[in-house]
Amino acid sequence: MPIVTPTLAAIVFGAGAVSGGLGALLGIGGGIFLVPFLNLVLNLPFTAAAAISLTTVIATSSAVSAGRTGKQLINLRLGMLLEVATVAGSLLGGVTAQFLAQSTLQKLFGIVAAVVAIVMVSRIGRRNVILDPSAHPGVLGGRFYDEESGGVVTYRVKRLPVALFASFLAGDVSSLLGIGGGVIKVPALNAWCGVPLRAAAATSAFMIGVTATGGAVIYYGRGQLMPSLAAAAVLGVQVGSWSGLRIGDKASVNWLKLLMAAVLVFMSALMFIHSRA
Amino acid sequence: MVKNDNSRLDRAIGRVLNVGVAASSACLAVGLGLSMFGATAGAASLMLNAGLVILMATPVGRVVVSVSEYAFERDWAFVVLTTIVLLELVGSLLAAVRLG
Repeated sequence: MPIVTPTLAAIVFGAGAVSGGLGALLGIGGGIFLVPFLNLVLNLPFTAAAAISLTTVIATSSAVSAGRTGKQLINLRLGMLLEVATVAGSLLGGVTAQFLAQSTLQKLFGIVAAVVAIVMVSRIGRRNVILDPSAHPGVLGGRFYDEESGGVVTYRVKRLPVALFASFLAGDVSSLLGIGGGVIKVPALNAWCGVPLRAAAATSAFMIGVTATGGAVIYYGRGQLMPSLAAAAVLGVQVGSWSGLRIGDKASVNWLKLLMAAVLVFMSALMFIHSRA
Repeated sequence: MVKNDNSRLDRAIGRVLNVGVAASSACLAVGLGLSMFGATAGAASLMLNAGLVILMATPVGRVVVSVSEYAFERDWAFVVLTTIVLLELVGSLLAAVRLG
């Protein structure tokens, strides 16, 4: 374990701010940047990187969701239903890891991320929102004020089993790779389950805290979490999520989809590079 | 719209998250300051660990509040769902204690 200097703490603070910003904009915890950054750039052991990442994901989830309550953007019912699958997935994460070689897993995720990036780009210009304010959202759907549409929009949830499966997979990946899994949930909810991107991102941001807690307590219990670096990252999250929330509700949905696709391409490339190393 | 309007639950969750974020950030900021510039390693470690425990307890607290709010609304399906999530979290907590 390296010695924590003020410079190192400041760098980790900055990385935490990026994660918090991504959380507010895209509903992801930023772990897919944070883990490789801490592991490869700052040379922390993988377990230490994953442990800091998971605490950052919790902080992002709590900070972003706290700043959003009262706006109806978080779909609480859908979120709590999917949490059952996602937390089960994160509990089983360790079990799945036993059956698959690390490089196989990485290649698999590289392919999945690339496919999802293409799906995301194909969603540009297509929206899930129903502009008719009298439309009924159904049991799990919702309504929220959409600045881009200039009014209250409605949406219905389709293909619930797909959403449940994606959440299970996201939880599974979470324990394995030290990420929140939003990068899987948000595109799945948006592309296949009828949830508008902003609502999908807000609901994912809400869920990832619970997903990451399962893994984080285990790393913490094993003494693999470096408290001062985790603190620096968590404080960075506060700054990043604050800024992200201020931009997020005004940014155009197409721009957000492009940003999400870029994140996925980055993740895919990273996974392939790792699987060869 | 009544069915999808969880404004009471929304406020309760908002309170838990706000308090958790504020308390953990305050502890972590003080702890980080002490560990960087102070000489008292014990106090720094105490504050840092307090901050981290509060941070990890916040999502659990949020689930607990959800269970009780759904029970208050007599929405039994969601009482069951949120209770399952809570049990899953307790499961990983037990795993952490055993492995630690």
